[in-house]
Amino acid sequence: MNGETTLGRFDTQTALVGAGTGAEMTLVLTVVMTVAAAVIFVAVMGVAWWAWRRETNVRPWWVWTGGVVVPVITLALLVVGSSLTLAAIGEVDEEPAVIEVTGHQYWWDVIHDPRDRSLRDANEIVLPVDQPVTLRLKSEDVIHSFWVPSISGKMDMIPGRTNALTVTATRIGRFRGQCAEFCGLSHPLMAFEVVVVSTENYAAYLDGLETEARDADTLQRTRGRDVFIEAGCPACHAIRGVAEGARIGPDLTRVGGRASLGAGMWAMNVGNLAGWIADVQDMKPGAQMPSYNHLSGPDLRAVAHYLESLK
Amino acid sequence: MPDGAEHRTFGKAGLGLVTVGALAATASVVAWSLASPSNDPVGAMVSRVGAGWERLTQWYAGNPVADRPNWSAMQVKLLDAQSDRGPDAMVRYGCGACHVIPGVAGARGTVGPSLAGFADRAYIAGILTNAPGNLQRWLIDPPLFAPDTAMPDMSVTEADAADMAAYLLSLTGAP
Repeated sequence: MNGETTLGRFDTQTALVGAGTGAEMTLVLTVVMTVAAAVIFVAVMGVAWWAWRRETNVRPWWVWTGGVVVPVITLALLVVGSSLTLAAIGEVDEEPAVIEVTGHQYWWDVIHDPRDRSLRDANEIVLPVDQPVTLRLKSEDVIHSFWVPSISGKMDMIPGRTNALTVTATRIGRFRGQCAEFCGLSHPLMAFEVVVVSTENYAAYLDGLETEARDADTLQRTRGRDVFIEAGCPACHAIRGVAEGARIGPDLTRVGGRASLGAGMWAMNVGNLAGWIADVQDMKPGAQMPSYNHLSGPDLRAVAHYLESLK
Repeated sequence: MPDGAEHRTFGKAGLGLVTVGALAATASVVAWSLASPSNDPVGAMVSRVGAGWERLTQWYAGNPVADRPNWSAMQVKLLDAQSDRGPDAMVRYGCGACHVIPGVAGARGTVGPSLAGFADRAYIAGILTNAPGNLQRWLIDPPLFAPDTAMPDMSVTEADAADMAAYLLSLTGAP
């Protein structure tokens, strides 16, 4: 996206600094519950201390009030509050923009506006600020869970099912999300970035997803594009305008424009790309992609430079 | 004036000068030998040279490796580099995807050789002698020196290359 392409620039991955309505509501609930628990704890300790230091006659109404009435009211308030919050977070708005995210071992397929334009990207989810977006969450293989703590609660991605989560990001920036359900050997290496941009930039981004990939404009990049095809990469990866149709691996049309490589794990640069292609299985054990360590040195460099140029 | 008279005159004066000189020399030797060592610059110099010579002979006689001057560290200084900035730069350029590099976060790649103990290597990629300047140039553009290498040109800046070279040359010991 816009210049900032260094992994690690995103805000802290935390639910305590909200950048989305869901996370903000959860934060309010967290604060209310923590404060209430602290008040109750202090009150109980105070009463205990009072009872211990002076001789008193226990009166039945104390027991009824402190043991039944107050806890029932308190718990009822908390149940109502948390249920309302949960309902508000879970409310699905079908009208706004829709983004379909499909979990794979161990990456994320992203389709913006699946009903109409069907624009494909991967491993980086761009969201417009202050605009509700309904995420339709699916899985291709095992159960994954979609979680961007700063923006909203988590939602499972279950094979054969479509779960929906409406989120509204409230702050422009980069936020880290990750798979929150153990999904295999490289589950801890299955992250992604959420990039929240202005409405205009989001529209421009969507238009960019319709154009073909950037031309191979140097001798080396041209060689890299040829290597990409000769080595059989299009069997799994699509690059619009070069090799289309494959859905097994992430779409690489703007791979060099993403901030990270390997689903939110490594900084996007030629060095990491070359190392990744040559030895995926070492960087991400259990990934579907084999290590391409049979490419000659110059070919490996060429394809890495070519992919890095796709922005 | 007859020649003889002139010679005699000169002879007397010369004798006088020699005598005065000898007396002065004797006096200064006596003064030197009586003087305390602290305000004796000549003696101090003599003993400094002697001590230096003694250290030099001891150094050669003993283990010369232990306190040999760190020539590569001195050369690295010439690069105007800061080795402690090296690991950060290496994370940024993704060196760890291919190399094991002690002290660099996540650097456990097995695509290329481990860079542990790099300071003790004789050659860089079997091509360039492992001198700081060579290492810096190699990091900036590996294919320039090894056209068939798999290591890409990663658009490393001169300053970053110097920092990374300095860091690599601080890695000693067995790999």
